[in-house]
Amino acid sequence: MHQSALIRARPGVRLRVADLGSLRLALWLIGLFGLAVAASYFGLSNATWALAVPLGLLAANLVAAVATNPIFRAQGALLVFHLGLIALIVLAAVGRLTYLKGSVELSEGQLFEGTLTQRENGPLHGDGLARVRFANLGFEVNYQPGLQRAQTRNRVGFAADDGVASELVIGDTTPLKLNGYRFYTTSNKGFAPALVWTAHDGGKPMLGTIHMPSFPAHLTRQSLDWTPPGATQVLNARLEIDDNVIDLGQAWVLRPPAVHALTLRTGDATVTLRPGESHRFAEGTLRYQGLRMWMGYTVSYDWTIPWLLAACAVAVAALAWHFAAKFRRQSWQAVDVAGRA
Amino acid sequence: MNTEMLALWAGIALYTLAGSIAMSAVVLRHRPESAILALIVLGLAVHGIAIGLRWERLGHGPFITMFEVLSSNVWSLTAIFALAYWRLPSVRPMAAIVMPVLFVMMFWLAFENPGAMQLPPTYHTSLLYIHVGFGKVFLGSVLIAVGLGGVVLARLSKRGAVWFARLPGDVQLDELAFRFLALGFIFETLMLIVGAIWAQDAWGRWWAWDPLETWAFLTWLLLAFTLHLRFTLKPAPRVGAALAIGVFVLAFLTFFGVPFVATAPHQGVI
Repeated sequence: MHQSALIRARPGVRLRVADLGSLRLALWLIGLFGLAVAASYFGLSNATWALAVPLGLLAANLVAAVATNPIFRAQGALLVFHLGLIALIVLAAVGRLTYLKGSVELSEGQLFEGTLTQRENGPLHGDGLARVRFANLGFEVNYQPGLQRAQTRNRVGFAADDGVASELVIGDTTPLKLNGYRFYTTSNKGFAPALVWTAHDGGKPMLGTIHMPSFPAHLTRQSLDWTPPGATQVLNARLEIDDNVIDLGQAWVLRPPAVHALTLRTGDATVTLRPGESHRFAEGTLRYQGLRMWMGYTVSYDWTIPWLLAACAVAVAALAWHFAAKFRRQSWQAVDVAGRA
Repeated sequence: MNTEMLALWAGIALYTLAGSIAMSAVVLRHRPESAILALIVLGLAVHGIAIGLRWERLGHGPFITMFEVLSSNVWSLTAIFALAYWRLPSVRPMAAIVMPVLFVMMFWLAFENPGAMQLPPTYHTSLLYIHVGFGKVFLGSVLIAVGLGGVVLARLSKRGAVWFARLPGDVQLDELAFRFLALGFIFETLMLIVGAIWAQDAWGRWWAWDPLETWAFLTWLLLAFTLHLRFTLKPAPRVGAALAIGVFVLAFLTFFGVPFVATAPHQGVI
């Protein structure tokens, strides 16, 4: 009402706002947005700006139309639908400013301490992730014959809101939700030899794991180059596993093979270690503790999700209401019969 | 040939017979409408048995392979068309336009490998059924609009005007087509919303501009444009008809073209 009064008092403004809210302009902007989506899809433009500019113009057009077009005063459901669209655009924009997505790999028994391996986030994302803690307590992945992945069940431990230690099984469509962050298991997982490195210069023994390439995606390439902490010497570690660990003709469960060994190569020297065995290298002694598994997680944060869903639900319900009211005036059969020859 | 495939081909034969009669009836200006509806319903029943047997055998619905997707969409599109055919008697001759569209899908189906694939772990959710169900209603609604719009466009030719003379006028057909497009818009919106909920649960993102999402959104935009154009500029029925066909073509490419060229249309699907 206040807006209307203001507009009445300043006819020049009214003209400009009404022009911005033109229904014909909306057509052009929908077309422009569609072209921008297609251009981004085919890699012809910078996706963020190509989408943001026409979407911003479309939002301005929507706001101006809602403010000036009398049809929205007469048709409440249509107004609610368009308000829902405006809310969606605003929420999507806010979500881009505050979102986070990333990934992290954790070995069995390892604690997540707020640091991601890869991350991207909006400029206004807070530091809530630094306070998130959970432990990977181990997992099982079922496979159907022919290397087809089935269910993933990953046990995780964390402190619940009341501080009580809790456990949960996540996997597939069930993420771990902590402090607004969602952790999802992925198909990226594999074997993690646990090693203890004791440098010859008197340093303390250091326990850690190295993550072999994803398994079974890289079934025949279970090796990597690794430099022990504080050392300069690069070791090539290769996991030797029984060729029959997977029977492609049968269903199987991914777990560390009972028979395996770790072959370490540096220069011309090669040594093979079984669990519990050690070897003295030039810069330190390496003890092979045994084989664990590692799981790759994707992490996402977007606080706008429930609001987006609510805006979508309201918008689509209002549109359905609008069409139902519009079509109720003349039934479908009446339209059909009206033109019957 | 096993019972499942026998039932499938029997269903397709019944659809083909119904469609052929519908086309010849338009040309010869006969009205065997009850027979056409009976053949379509019988075809749906037999085809439904084929889908049910496969579902029972594999333990999952027709959601994975192109064979399954085509088969289930032939069934759902025919079912939605049969409903419109039953409820809107004066536009029944549009079957001569709708059925050939379905023939294209049946022809494609004939060349697809009927082999099975396992349901990916992220597909074990009721959201799959809701998402796919909304998508089928959307595509079916747009197909009816295509049938109605096709009549409008066919009547631009002298022969078409004679064949489809006894249908309602272009304005009435345009109004009906608009209603089906509006219905399609609601259901495509619902399909996208449920898809986003599912994607968030399954892959940790509600939208990622993957090929299927992008093309589905472009279809949504074209449909929004079409509805908005009709409201704003009130174009001639033939323009509305052309746009309805455009929406269907884009939707068809989204539903069947993208999965055809991409092994994993949704990122992280497998």
